[in-house]
Amino acid sequence: MTSLVKDQKTKNSQKIKDRFISAFIGIFAIVWLFPIAWTLFSSLRPYKDIRANGILSWPSELNFDNYIEAIERMELPRYFYNTAIITLPAVFLTLFFGSLMAFVVTRYSFKFNVAMLLLFTAGNMLPAQLVFIPVFKMYMAIGDLVGDRRILYDNPWGIVLIHVAFQMGFATFVLSSYMKTIPKEISESAQVDGASVFTHFFRVMLPLLRPPLASLAVLMTTWIYNDFFWALVLMSTDNKRPITSALGRLQGEFVTDYNLLAAGAMIAAIPTLLVFFVLRKQFVSGLTLGATKG
Amino acid sequence: MLNKIAGHEVDRRLLLKGAAAGGLGIAGATMLAGCAPGSTGPISFGARTVDESPTIQLKGLVDAYIAKTGNEVTYNATESNAFQNNLSQYLQGTPDDCFQWMAGYRMQFFADQGLLVDLSDAWNEIGDQYNESYKIAATAADGKQYFVPQSWYPWGLHFRKSMMAEIGMDADSVYNWDDFLAALGEMKAKGLIGLASADKGGWEAMGMFDILNARINGYQFHVDLLAGREKWTDDRVKEVFRHWEQLLPFMNTNVLDLEWDGAMQLLLQKQAGFFFNGSWFGANFLEQSQEDYDDLWIIPFPEINPDNARDTIDAPIDGFCVAKNGANNAGGADLAKFAGDIEGVQAMLDTGIPMTSANNGQDRSSYDAFQLQQVAVMDEAKYITQFLDRDTRPDFAGPIIGPAFQSWFKDPSSTDSILESLQSQWDALPAL
Repeated sequence: MTSLVKDQKTKNSQKIKDRFISAFIGIFAIVWLFPIAWTLFSSLRPYKDIRANGILSWPSELNFDNYIEAIERMELPRYFYNTAIITLPAVFLTLFFGSLMAFVVTRYSFKFNVAMLLLFTAGNMLPAQLVFIPVFKMYMAIGDLVGDRRILYDNPWGIVLIHVAFQMGFATFVLSSYMKTIPKEISESAQVDGASVFTHFFRVMLPLLRPPLASLAVLMTTWIYNDFFWALVLMSTDNKRPITSALGRLQGEFVTDYNLLAAGAMIAAIPTLLVFFVLRKQFVSGLTLGATKG
Repeated sequence: MLNKIAGHEVDRRLLLKGAAAGGLGIAGATMLAGCAPGSTGPISFGARTVDESPTIQLKGLVDAYIAKTGNEVTYNATESNAFQNNLSQYLQGTPDDCFQWMAGYRMQFFADQGLLVDLSDAWNEIGDQYNESYKIAATAADGKQYFVPQSWYPWGLHFRKSMMAEIGMDADSVYNWDDFLAALGEMKAKGLIGLASADKGGWEAMGMFDILNARINGYQFHVDLLAGREKWTDDRVKEVFRHWEQLLPFMNTNVLDLEWDGAMQLLLQKQAGFFFNGSWFGANFLEQSQEDYDDLWIIPFPEINPDNARDTIDAPIDGFCVAKNGANNAGGADLAKFAGDIEGVQAMLDTGIPMTSANNGQDRSSYDAFQLQQVAVMDEAKYITQFLDRDTRPDFAGPIIGPAFQSWFKDPSSTDSILESLQSQWDALPAL
């Protein structure tokens, strides 16, 4: 009898706890969703409606005019192309070099491999704002050395390089954590069978790395796609910059039509959303990847 | 990827020529400076705007230049905020040859670092088309000119003629501080906002500080204060805030919630009598309707100290500079000279976009009444200042003065402590 009452009590308290947690999660979900929902809502409202009635009024009309205007003014094809020629090589090279690094530091033991891994991971912690002046000066110096200042600065390849440099630390870290979970015996038998270092890497390890590479590719794509900073400071010609800076084209010198800007932001977010929904699984596993070390 | 203005195709020979000119430009820019116009090779032009009207205007200028000289010009446009924030890197890196910029300290700052091309030669040729005040605004610390003016707009008291007629006020006759306070009091009694104000952006109120300081303490003190030669803790600065405080009861109560266009709305909707701002917003009135635009009027800010009368005005000048690190210094200078010459000015006017040009030779017969009144307001002033955030260090104006003025609006009684903190922050700035 007593135990039954006790059970009832625990059940009740568990229920209250659950409710509390649900409410808690619910509040956070709303806090998270609100800015996005508000952006979507704003993007559908014409500016003149807000001018006349204020931001918090009930909308008198909702339409896609802002989207049409944003698409016209942003010169989407050019800027999407610019983004593509930065993002695709950057992701590919990051993953390629990152996996090479990870391969070496986990499969071969030499004196500096832990130090090297640390170096790569620590480099990842440096904020971009701290290093952009030295990077800029370096790009200039290299440009002057070869006699063409646009060899790195104001050049998509310069942006690709800086992304590779910045993201490689994280890629190396994740891939090496994953690689440690692959049994050493596989490598040993490959070596016994006479595989060279390259065969070992390309034919044995790389195929096994497919899951973390897929997740990393998704993460890297979103990160590099969303970058605004490097393209702003390392490029001087606006029509070479990626889509994130095309949003700036929707601002005027004195007036900014925030509804138009909201529409532009929604358009610019579509590719990342697509990548996310198509590769959702990899995205989630990417977040926890390397969290458990074998 | 560059926008070809004249629709010329880039052929290989031109590219090679460009590369050669680029190499030469870096190696010995000064050698080329003597070249005759027409033989300068491709030029790139950097516009500091992506807005529709100014783009039409600038493309008109560039097209006219191409038609005249046959030089190849590429037009690169960048949104103004991004351009401004990135200018330092831009000028040190691979800038366009000729680019749009502003006069005053903002130009001198880069001229002092050797990033701009000396345009004294161009000034020798076109200088007589400009008043002395423009030449001063185009001159850097070394006494040479680095800037060619394009257009300007005055900061003054704006009002709607029809509204003043409705409430039976003769706003044109507001000459001094007492007149002004009386007019504001009258409007307050009628339930109107006397002076529409905004400072959400942090820069809007700077114009009011400029004009009060210049009226009370004179041009020289204002310039010295912004250059750090006078102290913010000076009693004369406190006097400025005492006058400013007298205006607060006549302002809208949500000064810190409005950006400049919010305050403009108050004038547009006839809720406020006066609006102190740069005249550029006339374009927004025109967008609203021709009737609203025709109703708009401007007078100089009232006299406070009879010694200074109404001798100073904030009239930011926009124009062109030539970048030292550009590939074609001579070509850039040639384009800048063309832009400042009456021929280039006419080309911009021919696009039909209204512009109050700095050039004396400009045909003013096409000016409407409001533009003529702007000229009259401008002509009354002996000294031109460029607006606070163009007249002092950029790392002082935006990040330090902006928030300081905002906190003053929250608590006007804290003037002394705000000014002390302003001075200590100026003192803490690294030397240039």
